Amino acid sequence: MIHEVLQSLSRVFASPARSPRMAVVLGRLLGAAFLVCMVTGLYSHAIQEPQPWMVFPTRPIQLYQVSQGLHITAGIACFPLLLGKLYAVQGRLFETPPVRSFPHFLERASITVFVASSIVQLVIGLLNTYQWYQLFPFPFRQTHFALSFVVIGSLAIHIGVKLPVIARHWSRVPDGSRPDNSSEPPAPSTVSVGGVTGRVLRWIDASPRPVSPGASRRGFLAAIGAATAALVAFTAGQSFRALDGLNLFGARKQGVGPQSLPVNRTAAAARVEQTALAPDWRLTVSGPAGTRSFSRDELAAMPQTEVVLPIACVEGWSQSATWRGVRVRELAALVGGGPESSVVFQSLEQRSSYARTEMGPEFARDDLSLVALELNGETLDLDHGYPARVIAPARPGVLQTKWLSSLEVSET
Amino acid sequence: MKTARIVLVAVGVLVLVVGVAVLLSDVSPRRYLGLGAWLLGALVVHDAVIAPVVLGVGALLRRAGRRMPGGVLVIVQVALVVAAVVTALVMPEVFKRGIGTANPTVLPLDYGVNLALFYVGLAVATGVAIAAYLAVRRRAAVGASED
Repeated sequence: MIHEVLQSLSRVFASPARSPRMAVVLGRLLGAAFLVCMVTGLYSHAIQEPQPWMVFPTRPIQLYQVSQGLHITAGIACFPLLLGKLYAVQGRLFETPPVRSFPHFLERASITVFVASSIVQLVIGLLNTYQWYQLFPFPFRQTHFALSFVVIGSLAIHIGVKLPVIARHWSRVPDGSRPDNSSEPPAPSTVSVGGVTGRVLRWIDASPRPVSPGASRRGFLAAIGAATAALVAFTAGQSFRALDGLNLFGARKQGVGPQSLPVNRTAAAARVEQTALAPDWRLTVSGPAGTRSFSRDELAAMPQTEVVLPIACVEGWSQSATWRGVRVRELAALVGGGPESSVVFQSLEQRSSYARTEMGPEFARDDLSLVALELNGETLDLDHGYPARVIAPARPGVLQTKWLSSLEVSET
Repeated sequence: MKTARIVLVAVGVLVLVVGVAVLLSDVSPRRYLGLGAWLLGALVVHDAVIAPVVLGVGALLRRAGRRMPGGVLVIVQVALVVAAVVTALVMPEVFKRGIGTANPTVLPLDYGVNLALFYVGLAVATGVAIAAYLAVRRRAAVGASED
């Protein structure tokens, strides 16, 4: 009985859109999108938690903005691609017999791991873009990092297992000579299925296909392509200025926020409102040649540099802004720092893993790296890091420490 | 091909093991249950909810559209898929915005209104595509009868 139902199901599932060729076409696109996510994700991870030997490029200044914008945009594009890919192979879910051999069991197990981990990976990534952490009972960053290896590993196994099929269907074959054209529905089962299931199946079978296989295939590809294009077009404006006008569904909007700039963590959330506004605030700068401290007025009296740099968040949004303040390397030089010095920034914020961040020498000596006091021509807003914050090129926003309290300069 | 397959599977297993090792070392054991529930839930939601619903809607459309010209049915199907996918990704934003965000710059847009705008645009585009398809078909039919 179960066997008959499964056979009937696979007949219902038979559709011109469900062919190995379609699985290969969508699989290539999905694989490319996953690869973009993996590479940009690893870059973002490395720059946030660098090994001592790592050196990062500081130009182009949009490097992190573009890399993380690609990460989020490609991740969003994966939703329709993955759904389409799963649809194209759906009939396999009801294969009979479910397990033929040990290699077949391994194949299905690796696909199960791949499907489960990539759905979770994409969903928590999307939820992270609007900080909906309450929804999942595990830490985002660690889980997203670990799952990325699970996804890519199980994907490599899957590609290895399916390589002959992929090779056979890599390029288009004329319809007639398709070697194992599973778009042809299997011969109808002679055993009739009773009950409600049987009636439903007969009802479906009674509907003739009004559409030619070619039109059906093109329609399916058009649907997945249009859904992907719509999602990208209407969200990517949060990361890419050129698409800002189309931003209907992005989690952030350029120009929205204090001083026309979005905020990730407010002063209230960081519990720094009192310490940041305290009249006796001073920035302590220590290094090989001793320790000095500066009031905000003293910092403002030093030579000021104006730079145009993007603030680019790990959550994908980014926006360019004009910043004005004192160069990090000029401050470091006052306490004996040189071109090989690295700087540790301490925030007034107490309970955050990013309250203390390190800046490698390649960024610390850069002309564009500032302790910023002004944003877009005004005194820095409290939510943007008043009295002083870090801004440097090609780095994630989470390292652009706000509400500074001290700089420690050390030779590396 | 055989070597490539062995290399791919071997590298895959290695990377998979790295992923599990990172998971075991970076995520505290008391979170495993929640993560396991999510992984299992993903399979259940896809295999037991999304897939059957898509199958059912597809069958219904096939039945309901049997008097439609084939091209019109395909265009309607494309529009429904696009609407469903976009809705699935935007509805959580509508909901999250409703219960409040960390600060006003997170989810700052009126996503419900924008979704309605999107539906209107999609409906117009679908109508235009159907009209264009029918016009081309009519012209082809006229051309054939004149021959």
